[in-house]
Amino acid sequence: MRRRFCRPPRLEAPSASEAPAQALPLPAGENVPARRFLAIHLPLLAIEATGPADGPVLVWRANGPRREVLAVNAAAAALGVAPRQSLADAQAIAPGVQPRPEEPDAERARLQALGLWALRFTPLVALDPPQGLLLDITGVEALFGGEAALLERVLSSLRRHGHAALGAIAGTGPLAAALAQAAPGTIAPSGQERAALAPLLLFALRIPLPVLAALRRLGLERLGDLLAQPRAPLAHRFGAELILALDRALGEATAPFPSLRPPPDFHVTREFLEPLIARGGIDAVLSRLLPLLCQQLEDTGRGLRRLVLRAHRGDGTMQEIVLGLGRSSRDAAHLAKLLERRLDTLEPRFGFERLDLLAEITEPLAALQSGMPGAATQAVEEAALAQLIDRLGQRLPVWRLAPRASHWPERQAMRVEPFAAIETPPGWAARPRPLRLLRKPEPIEVMALLPDAPPRRLRWRGHWIEVSAAEGPERFEPEWWWDRPDRPLRDYYRVECADGTRLWICRAGLADEAPRWFLHGAFA
Amino acid sequence: MATLRRQVAVLEHAGTRPDHARQDPVPLCPSVDQVLPAGGLARAALHEILGTTALSGAALGFCALVLARSGGTVLWIGAEPEAWPPGLVRFGLDPARLVLVRASRPADALWAMEEALRCPAVSAALLASPGIGLTAGRRLMLAAEAGGALGLLLRADSPHPGPAVALTRWRISPRPGGAPSEAHWQVELLRSRGGAGGNWPLRWNEAAGELLDEASLPARPVRRRVG
Repeated sequence: MRRRFCRPPRLEAPSASEAPAQALPLPAGENVPARRFLAIHLPLLAIEATGPADGPVLVWRANGPRREVLAVNAAAAALGVAPRQSLADAQAIAPGVQPRPEEPDAERARLQALGLWALRFTPLVALDPPQGLLLDITGVEALFGGEAALLERVLSSLRRHGHAALGAIAGTGPLAAALAQAAPGTIAPSGQERAALAPLLLFALRIPLPVLAALRRLGLERLGDLLAQPRAPLAHRFGAELILALDRALGEATAPFPSLRPPPDFHVTREFLEPLIARGGIDAVLSRLLPLLCQQLEDTGRGLRRLVLRAHRGDGTMQEIVLGLGRSSRDAAHLAKLLERRLDTLEPRFGFERLDLLAEITEPLAALQSGMPGAATQAVEEAALAQLIDRLGQRLPVWRLAPRASHWPERQAMRVEPFAAIETPPGWAARPRPLRLLRKPEPIEVMALLPDAPPRRLRWRGHWIEVSAAEGPERFEPEWWWDRPDRPLRDYYRVECADGTRLWICRAGLADEAPRWFLHGAFA
Repeated sequence: MATLRRQVAVLEHAGTRPDHARQDPVPLCPSVDQVLPAGGLARAALHEILGTTALSGAALGFCALVLARSGGTVLWIGAEPEAWPPGLVRFGLDPARLVLVRASRPADALWAMEEALRCPAVSAALLASPGIGLTAGRRLMLAAEAGGALGLLLRADSPHPGPAVALTRWRISPRPGGAPSEAHWQVELLRSRGGAGGNWPLRWNEAAGELLDEASLPARPVRRRVG
């Protein structure tokens, strides 16, 4: 029997030809927010990563036995050197060119640094290796006076830092990246992805090389030719990846955007005309920024759990200080105290040109109701304790010991972070236990009348100590569900020495198989 | 005389000591409390405890008792804080109230202690350290007065303990004669500002949760020998 499928009517997205070309803040009710992406292409990153270049420079890469030119700067290109030549050819054509081996690590690091630098334009920046950056500029262009002005500003600042940079803006990330490479300077309006994509050559879309070659053999040159083909045979012949790449460029499938940093919930920023070099200046700026941030938090009834300070240096690098808080807070004085110590790690050198203060993780924080004696005092005390632990935790290890349902001494109390809630299981530590447990049990020697009798004398740190009384043994069987199978059982004795010292000693192993003795704790 | 002393104490700390919610001293045991000028271990002050043995178990027990009786959150600061909750609960110190801090450098330890003493949410703090200088001790004393917490300095006994900034100085040594799991101490009050010293044989009665003065009790049966 044939099954009949009932296909739901396909919803047509509102076509952008009817919408205004300049997508200003969308009217409420529009269910698909038009995202905008700015892609940056850095064609000479391979050269720039190897250091400053004033003369003709080329970067080569070993491709099997062949040394191949990877990138050339403008001066070298003028001499006739071009990428994909062999290094020997290039040196024959232009002997004056300085050859440098490729440094992929430096390149990656430089791209990462530039990505962090680009966080000044938008909180959402993704790396597009090997030579690209992708900025989600949805909604931020208004701050820079329009998309064209933003693009110009990004590119000119990159050029100021000595990078050759091309850029484009489009409604999807892959399309923007393709445009930045193939048609730099383009600003493609949202909704017209198809028109923007059509004139580009196939390689602009980073299609795998074998697929590209096969498509070329079919006589397809431009992406427009590809889009005109029926989808099903294309997918059948070249795999779903090609279709996915097309869909992502057209905005019909969502392209992943691996943002370098999570977008902050709140942030405040200050830029300086004169770079900030002295610690005093940084302190002064922070003392103004922190209350601003805390005011934002207070207005929305939230407290922050993670505070990030980003200091952008004049040379295009960025330094970050991340503060985690045990309990949400919006107390500017407390935050300033926590930051104070960490600010020493900043290296202004030539000065910071911009400081960002971001509240990365926030949670609801109710304001304290004053005038309610009982509850308010308790809440104030809790907050004071949390602040104390935060302060101590910035510098020293701080923890609590939580009881655990185990009888094995080392596992009876477990370190937990200082804000954890602690509950004592019923019947826990019902037997006499020492109040000091040595982290490393100290080996001792023991004399007893009989092999399995309680000890009469013990030798600890080179001295013989008389035992005047002993209680035990108390046998501890290893917990097989946690321990390694060959762990010996332990017999613990509580002994009192002649001077009254009360110790907890144990025999590891049975009495008749050469046991070892340890001092493990001290009673009060 | 007592009223005069109290007046002098008030004058000494005029303006520095804010009104704390908890002003009552930490009680130890009736016979000890009546010797102490405050009627117990005074809060908002520093107390020095000398432990006589290598592991100073007895002194730790005494500290645990004071921390437990201080009533609130307590901090345990030391180079290697080896406090063990299963033993501490026997003195009434609930693990939920205990926060441990490891400070391997003396400067860090002093800073942590000062911060802890200044915090109004901390009822007592213990610093286990080999010894602190006069200036550092004075700082801690001021911090304790400002914050209202009870500070304990735990250190090893030495023949010349040096000048003291703390309000009291105690020497706690274990006393032979009980069962190995029972706490018997010889508690010496070496120094007490504005009060007399003393020396008591004390025993911790876990079931009743009280410290007993053995001198005022009938003699206990002779101790057992190991068989």
